[in-house]
Order: sequence, then structure tokens, then C-alpha cells
Amino acid sequence: MSRYRYLFSPLQLGPITVRNRVVFSAHLTNYAADGLPTEQHAAYYEARAAGGAGLIITEEHSTHPTDWPYEKLIHGFNREVIPGYRRITEAVHRHGTPIFAQINHNGGQASSMYTRLPVWAPSAVADPLFREVPKAVTIREIAEIVAGYAVVAGHCAEGNFDGVELQCSHSSIVRGFLSGATNMRTDHYGGSLENRARILVDIIDAVRDAIGPTRALGVRLCGDELIEGGTTINEAVAVAKIVEATRKVDYINTSIGVATATLFMIEASMHIPPGYALFIPNAIRREVDLPVVGVGRFKDPLQVERALAEGHCDLVGVVRAQIADPDFVRKAQSGEHDDTRLCLSCNQECVGRMGLNRWLGCIENPAAGREAELSHRLAITPKRRRVLIVGGGPAGLQAAISAARHGHDVVVYERDHVAGGQVRWAATVANRAEFGDMIRNQVNELERLNVKVSLGHEIDEAFVLEQNPDVVIVATGSTPQRPYWAPEGDDRIGDVLDVLTGRFTPLVGERVTIIDELGFHQATSVAEVLADRGCLVEIITPGMVVAQDLGITLDMEGFRIRAAAKGIVCTPDSVVMGWDPELRTLSILHHVSGQMIERVTERVVLAVPNRPVDALANDLRASGFEVHCIGDALAPRRAHSAVIDGDRVGAAL
Amino acid sequence: MRLLETLELGRGGFPVAPSRVMFGPHETNLGNGRSLSKAHVAYYARRAAGGAGTIVIEEASVHESDWPYERAPLAASCPPGWQAIVEACSPFGPVVLAALGHSGGQGTSHWNQRELWAPSAVPEVASREVPKVMDSADIDAIVDGFANAATLAMASGCCGVEINAGQNSLLRQFLSGLTNMRSDGYGSDRSRLLREVLAAVRRVIGESAVLALRLSVDELAPWAGIVPDAGYAIAVEVAEWIDMLTVVRGSIYSVALTRPDGHVEPGFAISLARGARHALGAAGHQRVQVFAQGSIVDWGQAEWALDDGAADGVEMTRALLADADLVAKLRSGWADRIRPCILCNQLCKVRDNRNPVVSCVMDPRTGHEDTDAPEPTHSQSINCTLTIVGAGIAGLETARNAALRGFRVTVVDRNSAVGGVLPYAARGAGRDRLALAVDWLERECIRLGVAIRLGVSIDAASLETLRNETTVVLATGANHGTLPFTIESAAYVRHGVDVLALDDPALALPAGPIVVWDPIGGPLALSIAELLAANAIRREAGVILVTPDLLVGEKLSLTGDLAPAQIRLHGLGVTLVKQALVRRVSDGKVEVEDRFSGRTEVIDASVFIACGHRLPDLTLDPDETLAQVGDRVAPRTIHEAILEGRRVALGLPRS
Repeated sequence: MSRYRYLFSPLQLGPITVRNRVVFSAHLTNYAADGLPTEQHAAYYEARAAGGAGLIITEEHSTHPTDWPYEKLIHGFNREVIPGYRRITEAVHRHGTPIFAQINHNGGQASSMYTRLPVWAPSAVADPLFREVPKAVTIREIAEIVAGYAVVAGHCAEGNFDGVELQCSHSSIVRGFLSGATNMRTDHYGGSLENRARILVDIIDAVRDAIGPTRALGVRLCGDELIEGGTTINEAVAVAKIVEATRKVDYINTSIGVATATLFMIEASMHIPPGYALFIPNAIRREVDLPVVGVGRFKDPLQVERALAEGHCDLVGVVRAQIADPDFVRKAQSGEHDDTRLCLSCNQECVGRMGLNRWLGCIENPAAGREAELSHRLAITPKRRRVLIVGGGPAGLQAAISAARHGHDVVVYERDHVAGGQVRWAATVANRAEFGDMIRNQVNELERLNVKVSLGHEIDEAFVLEQNPDVVIVATGSTPQRPYWAPEGDDRIGDVLDVLTGRFTPLVGERVTIIDELGFHQATSVAEVLADRGCLVEIITPGMVVAQDLGITLDMEGFRIRAAAKGIVCTPDSVVMGWDPELRTLSILHHVSGQMIERVTERVVLAVPNRPVDALANDLRASGFEVHCIGDALAPRRAHSAVIDGDRVGAAL
Repeated sequence: MRLLETLELGRGGFPVAPSRVMFGPHETNLGNGRSLSKAHVAYYARRAAGGAGTIVIEEASVHESDWPYERAPLAASCPPGWQAIVEACSPFGPVVLAALGHSGGQGTSHWNQRELWAPSAVPEVASREVPKVMDSADIDAIVDGFANAATLAMASGCCGVEINAGQNSLLRQFLSGLTNMRSDGYGSDRSRLLREVLAAVRRVIGESAVLALRLSVDELAPWAGIVPDAGYAIAVEVAEWIDMLTVVRGSIYSVALTRPDGHVEPGFAISLARGARHALGAAGHQRVQVFAQGSIVDWGQAEWALDDGAADGVEMTRALLADADLVAKLRSGWADRIRPCILCNQLCKVRDNRNPVVSCVMDPRTGHEDTDAPEPTHSQSINCTLTIVGAGIAGLETARNAALRGFRVTVVDRNSAVGGVLPYAARGAGRDRLALAVDWLERECIRLGVAIRLGVSIDAASLETLRNETTVVLATGANHGTLPFTIESAAYVRHGVDVLALDDPALALPAGPIVVWDPIGGPLALSIAELLAANAIRREAGVILVTPDLLVGEKLSLTGDLAPAQIRLHGLGVTLVKQALVRRVSDGKVEVEDRFSGRTEVIDASVFIACGHRLPDLTLDPDETLAQVGDRVAPRTIHEAILEGRRVALGLPRS
């Protein structure tokens, strides 16, 4: 407790008192159905309230029928949302936690796909992502937008929210008006900053009228849009002063970037240092007296404490860390610091699923997104069984956690002298180290559950027969396999794992060609490692874009910038057809033109699908054991699949 | 007309399809979760009422291991929906079949969070996900799944089922050397699973129900895939169980080529149907009714396919999305009134993460039958006048619907032809069918007595006079957009639409290399680049497509043209400059900056063609006091123009 002088001090946000400085700030979840909040919303927010969050701010509620940029958006303008609001607020209030609703109109950062109506914006400037020309709103339509905010704020008050936050920051019609990049108007809603901020002031007036004095009102502003001609910090501070001058607002929240242009800086992955956006609340806090919220990849309570202690902000938005561990605050308070399931900032299942219209999850917390459904899962199994798990990668460890939580007698055997499987090698790459927290978290949890992880222990059928467990879970992972053109014995060819483990070591100045059929971090990580080492690196892929899936985790921009700086060549649309070890030449088919290309290279690194290691599973099945095969041993996939498999099988024994 | 003849589909001469036109199975995203919805019922009933002979309902997954898209129907959840659809269609007499399938390795693990099932560990091409290799228990579960689903479909009143061994199917994955590397009996005999499934289904549905098969007979991957002769042999091998065969093409490397857009010649697979029908006939299986599929959207081609003996029936799914009454209109002798499918694929290919609801740019009520009002029936002329300024798509659709409601309608346009910018867009490579939209609208407007006055300019003063006399709708379209970079005075810069308006753009533009700038991601810029590069001299001089994206034509992913477009552009020698921002256009030079490295590159180019966003023309009535439609509101696509035109016309007060 003594570690945290600031984190656990209460704070007044207008009429509302928060008990600590950690905010579960607004973020999309895709939990809505037919425009309405669901039981999953209530269960999701309640879990974080129970875990000690000081303040919860829900995901955005749309203020007008012209605003429907993604399918699973809550239609706040529809009165039918109110019963769902009440279920959410009741669940959160049960834990004494205040909860605010974020309300918003996304403006031009939208398409007409769902509304079948023109997109509304301050000016007819097409959004860089949606690329649909919006309609420049008339004065009459501006009045309709403002009225929409008031209506929705009224719904929120009826739904017992303790406050309302206006999202004017990264995807909003208000942002559109504030920004010189999207506001080209010549009337009194365009031109000077005072004019561009006019709609915001109109909305503040209308919303304050709607919610009255007993609820809090916050405004979330963008400190730097990171786009050409966009808002930067000085203007953001000036807007904050305009907001404060209304005397109707209780706090200011902050963010960085534009959701449809520079999202990779809003929900930065592990490549961007924690606290990267603190200059924004810092600058605002110097000029205004209202409490200011800072955000930006806070994953550890100590980072939160430091941001508060250094005076950057009054509150800290902690989202992904509380998705990964709903008890983030409670554990910090009770001193169980090492028990926190640290967020990896991998963005695979939270941010990554949002862009794909799927419900929000978490790579290492399989309960995230399924809180409502899993609340029915039994904590203790009626029959305790002896479970032997072969393999200490993410699948095996998660199966052990899940089985042990259900009361089974579990032991894990790992062949290697360290747990973690391929994850620990992936985490050896610069700026990917936090990926390894997944294993740290699992191993810590197993210690708490008193499950033994036996390392350096290779298991065979005889050993299992001798142990004679009730159940065997085979999580033996996968192993690299070579394509037909790459002979096993050829020592100029290696796998990505060989590079990371040091079994395959291209030399400084050598040409290295990475063949990528996976489209994710495997190839790009190794490319960067080798380029840093002084190799001349090219990535070749049959896909249309090199490392296509980095777009999903918001790692694409960073990778491309680093690749350009490191001289990594990216070659799409190309399939390797052969390799001449004498001439050290790859024959490559450029499949869109049909041309054959020769590439002379000293080393070839493979980032291709692995083969499951499932022999033990097959043998044990033949011997009559109850065998469950999980993770890569079932089908080589990404880490989240391993965790999900492990959790499901461990819980269902 | 052969198309309008009946067709006996079952073994005992029953059931009989009232016409030879099939509304085939396709994704709709109309589902309510994994069940069929009221929207589904209205959607299929409308096609039944319009005369479709056979309706095959959206495919249902036969086993919970398959959840290929969020709203993919699951057979176990479908019986109430199947029953409602059968009931709603039955007054019109079509043969209603339930499509059953399993996507295998072409599915996704994102919804059920389970491993994919497939014959072998071959990763899906686009998702790169490695599936689980199915064991014998899994195979048994699939066979049972098909049989159980067929039982449910029959109990729900369907006339039979269609089994999918075409695109996106586990059964084809077992049939193909591309995806089946098994060493067991299902690998040495790759059609074994299909035979087992068909036999099991036939067992449960009985001899009199219809068992249809959708089969890919050409995987367009001859090195290991099914080639046509092998495909025909499979059809012959399973003929004893089936009554109908719909012949399709395409596989894992050619997902877009099963239902391509207008860049592929309509009727491209008729020869495959002919081959299959011939093979079945030669083997004594004339009983099996063969349906041709593949961009058959014009009734003339469909009729020819039947007449010429290539097929017994024709799947015309997209034609029935554009005009649900196609068959009824043919029966009434109104062939020229059929609303054309322009093969744009803009709204009807809905396998997309955003779950768009199936619809049609030509008929926006498609997919919205349960919410959107039907097209007005032609009523008596009423004493209401309407003047529409602008004879583009939006203006014409407004006019057409108002005329149907009895308004006396005049359309004025300052140009000498109708259609606005669309006739120009239709000159882009592979986009010629866009012109059909204009032709049809003009024809219908004339038929309905709309006065079209061309070469008439309206200014503020004449608008004022006009609005005192009559109701006015503005459909004045859009102007060029602004260009966000420096343009030096000597630079030769033209906008895309203006280039297409030239008689022969390749000849008319100054000599030398051409840069086509595409900040949108297709289709306009690509069609211009292709048009220009088709000219040998232009190609030699250089056609350079510049995009800020990591790949060109990004917006084409929805229509299925993304991958084919890359091949066409490479084939024509178009140079692609990706991830580039244009900074300056000067005489003979274009300066671009790499988005990631920040490095600047200078491209030699004597012509710069801008294909960016356009801006609405608000010259008339800048305060927007009048009703307005289409690009005048915001420059978008044909879809929004027609949607708004219709909406405004239906909302006009009849006083």
C-alpha cells in the first residue's frame, strides 16, 4: 500500500467522488446487439468494478441515426437502450463504483453502409479510412446534432449513469469541427478556433441542461491528431481552456491520434513506450484547473503511480491492463503486485478483433468478452481427477490453470529447462519482450495454485503408463517443417525459430531472404533481428502485402517505418518454386504477372506453417487413455488459440 | 421460351419447377444470429412471386465445427425459418431446396474459437490458418451432420436439399489434390466422403425428394486441382444419388472467380455445364437436370444455354437480385422492362467482416424487403407536377418513381445526354455494363411519360420561377474535388471523369508517361489505367498508378476484383507506386513521398490524372431548401443515387 501515495487517494469530479485514480476509460467492445447494450456489457463492466477500478466510462453511445460507422454500436438515441443502461449501472454500483457514459457522433469518420443515409460532417472532406464523401451539415443539421446529444444525455441520466463524457477526441464530429484538417467552413462554425469550438460549447450547454447538476460532465480532447494540418497540442490546450470557461464541465480526458488515420498511436502496441502520450495531459494541466485524465499503454500500477506523482495528470486511463486482469486495482491495493496478469500490449484479441467486427477478447484472459456466459461455469468440479499435462507452452500452462481452478490434481511436464514453448523465443526479439509476460503470468498463477511444472522432463508413453493419470492433456506444440524445395540437410536454410534460438546464424553482410507464409510477427521480428545484426534482408511472401496481419494489431506502420530505416526489402505476390544450393539461387514465381524471377541469396529463413507434434497423443489414445490434444499439437495456430484450447479443455474435464 | 418451361426435378416427375430459372444459394447476412429471419422470408418470397422456378436457400452449416461468417445459418437452428420460407413461397409454386454444407478449412475460427476441420493441414490461402486434420470420428460426424440436417430440412417442408461441393466446401476439399493429402481411404479415394454423404442424405430424404449437388468441376489449378474432365467424372460417379447438378468453378486460389464481377465474360462456365451434361448423358444419366451458373444475368444468354443443350436450367441469382420479377416480366412479354444486373458486385457479395446485408445497386429494396416499401405500382396520372434538375442516375430514378406514382415529371439537364457521369465511368476498362443502368432508366422514364429536356441550363433566377410553379428536386451532381498538393501552372492535370469523356483518351492525351493518382482504391482509377495501358504506345511510354495504400485497388476487396485486378494491371504493364503521397505536380514531373521512409521520388510524367473524391455542386440553392438526391448531397456511388432518388420520390406529397 505504501508504494502508492497517489493512486489510492480519492478525487472529486464535480459532484462525483472517485475512490482511486484508475479509470477504465471508454473503448469499443462490439458487445452490443441490434443497437442495444447487452448482459455481456453489464458483466464486463461489473468485473472491473469488482476488481477495484475507480471510475468506469462505457463505450460510446451514438447520438443520432446518421451515425453508425460499425455494426455493433449502441444506439443511444433510441429510448429502448434505457433498460440496458440500468442493468449496467446497477451491476457497477453494486461495487460502489461510479460509471459514466460516453456519448458521441462519429461524423465523417463513418460510412453509410448501415444507415443508408448520407454521412454528416462539418465539411465535405472524405475520411482517410472510410473514403466516403460526407455531407457538409447545414446550420439546421448542426442544431439537430446538438439536440441529439441532449436527448442521449437524458437517456443516460434516466439509465442512472453518474456522468456523461463527450468524445471529442479521435473519432467524432466534434473533433471534425475542431480540426483544421476537416473543417473548411466559412460560417460561424469554421475559421477561428472559437468558431470551430462553437459546436462543442453548444453541446456542453445542451448536455449540462439535460443531466442537471448532480451528474458529472467530461470532455475528451485530442492533444495531437498526428495528421497533416490537424490539431496539435497548443490548440488542444486552447480548446481545454474554452471548455473550462463554460464552468459546466467537471473534468477533461485526453487522447492522441485520429482513429481512422493514426489509430496505431491511439492503441499503441508494445513497440511504443508506456506513457507515450503524457505530454498531452501535462500541457493541459498546466493551463486549466479541471482534473485531467492521461492515457497511453499503462500496464503496471507503478507506471500509474509515477504518472500521478510526476504531476502529468490527475487520473490515469487503464484499459487493456484491466481487460487482461479485471482485478488490476484490487491486486495493487492488497500488495499482490506479482499476481497481476500483465497486459502484453499485443493487441491481438482486443484491438485486433474490434476492427474485424468481432467481440472484444484478450489473448491471455479467455474470460474477457465472455464474462456473462462464464459466470455460470462451476468453480469446483464434483470429481477430482489426476491430470497429466505434457508440454509447458501457453496451451499446456493454461490447461493446467483451468484444471487446477476446477479442483483437479494437475502436474505439467515440460521437456525444455524453461517453460513457454515458442512464446519465449518470440519474446527474445527487441521490442517484443512484453509478449513473454504471457508465460510469466501463467507461471505465477500456477505457483499460486500450487501446480508443479516439472522442467527438463521429456515424457514418453511408458512414463504416462507408469503414472497412470485419469486424463492426459497433450500440448506438445509443433515443429518446423520444410517446403518441398528446401532439403532438410541444407545448412543455408533455417527456420525463424532456428534464428531466434541461435541454431542458424547468418553473418554480417550476408544476403538473407525470409520466406513468409504466416503474415505475422514471425517474419518481421526475425527480419529486424537480422537487419540489426548487419544482414541484407528481404521478406518474400505469396500474399498481396508483406506481414498483412500486422495491420490488425496496429503494428504495420511501425514495422514499415523501421523496415525502411533498416533497409528491409518487402516483396509481395511471390512464391518460391525452387532453390539451387550450388548457385545459391531461389526461383520465384511472381504470381500476378506469371514471371519467374531468380534471387541470389546466401541464406534462406523460413516462416512457414509448422507441423503438429501429436505422436504421443496418438500413442496414448491407442493405449486407452482419455487424451485431449490442444494448441499447436492439435493445429498450429497463434498463441490465443493455444490459451483458448487450454482453458476450454481444462475447465471441461 | 425454354426458360419459362416447367422442369421436373424429382425422380417420379415431381416436384416440378414452374420455370427453369434458379435463385441460387448465397450469403445474405440477413440472419438472426444463426437462424433464418423474417427478412429472409420476405427476400425469398419476393423472388418466388417473381417467377423463380427453383429457390435454394442460403447454405446452412451441417455441423457446429463450421461457423464461416457471423450470420452463417446453422442447420440445427433453421427449421422454423425453412418452414416459414416454404410457406411464404408455396403460393407461387417454386421448388424450394435447403442448401447444406461445411466450409472446412475455408471457414474461420473467430466465431466459435475452435480449430478448423479439413482433410489435410493445408492453410487457407487468405487467412493462412492451419486446420486440424480430421480423424475418422470427425468424418463420421460430418456424414451424420449432413444426414441430420437433411432430415430437418425435409421435416420443415423443403422439397429437397442441395449439397455443396463447390466453392467454400469441405466436400470439394476432400475431392481435390490441392487440399487432400490423406493417406487413409479418404485420400486414396478422394470422392469417398462425397459418396458417403450423398448416400446418407438420400437414405434419409427418401427416393421422391430432390437431391441436388453443387460441384466445382474446375478448380482453375490444374497442377493438383480438379480439372473439367475429372470434375465430370465425379458427377457421373455420384449420379445415382442425385437429381440435379449445378456446375460451378473455383477453389482456394480462385475464390473470386466463382461469382466474379463484370470484368469476367458473363456465362463463362456454360461450357462446363455442357461438358457435365454431356458426360452424364453419355453415361446414361440424362435424368440428372444440369444447371449452368456463372454471371448469367441476361435472359437471352440463359435462353441460349438451354436452347443449345448446354443445360436444363440456369442459375440467375444476381439477375434476380436486380429484378426479382425477371421471370414474370418475361411471361408478360416485357423483356425490355427487366432491370439489368450490371455485374458490379458492389452490394451482393457480402462475405465481409462488416456483415453488410445483401442488396443491389439497381434495386436497393433487395435485402430490405421487410422494411422498404415496394416499388409503386403504375397509377393513374394525378394533377401533380415535378421538375427534376439533373438527368443523372439519381434524377432519373427520382423521375421514374414519381412517374409510377402518377406525377407529371420533367427532367432537365444542361448536358446533351442523360446519365450524368455514369456513361463516362462506363468507358473505363471492364465497366461497360454500367451503361445498362442508364439505358434502362432512360427507357423506363420514357415509357412512363417522363419529359426529358436536355441542353437546358437552370440558374438561380430560373430556379426561383420553377419552384413557384412546381415541386423541384435537385440532382445536380458533383464537381471536381480539390487536390491536396502543389500544382505548378505548366502541369498537365486532368480529372478522371474528364479523361473518360474524351473520344479516345489514349490518343487525345499528350504523348509521354501518365500518372494516374488514386487516393480512393478503385475502381475508377484502375479502369482508366487499364484503358490507357491497353494502348501499346501508351504502355510503352508508361502508365503509372500511384496509391497511398500498401496495395492498389484496396476498395475492390468487397467486389471480389482485388486479386484479379492485380493480375490485369501487371499483364498490361502498369507500373504500381504504392504507399506514396503526391506532393507536387509540375511540367513533366510528379513528386511523390514514401509514407513510411519519407523519401521523395520524382516520376517522369507528362500527364497527371486525378481520380480522387468529388465535391457536391451546390451552386443552385446553396442553402439546401429544396429536396436533393445523389451526388448533389454527397458524391458517392450509383447505389446511393438510386436509393435517395427512390426515397425522395416515394416521399413526395400527392396533393
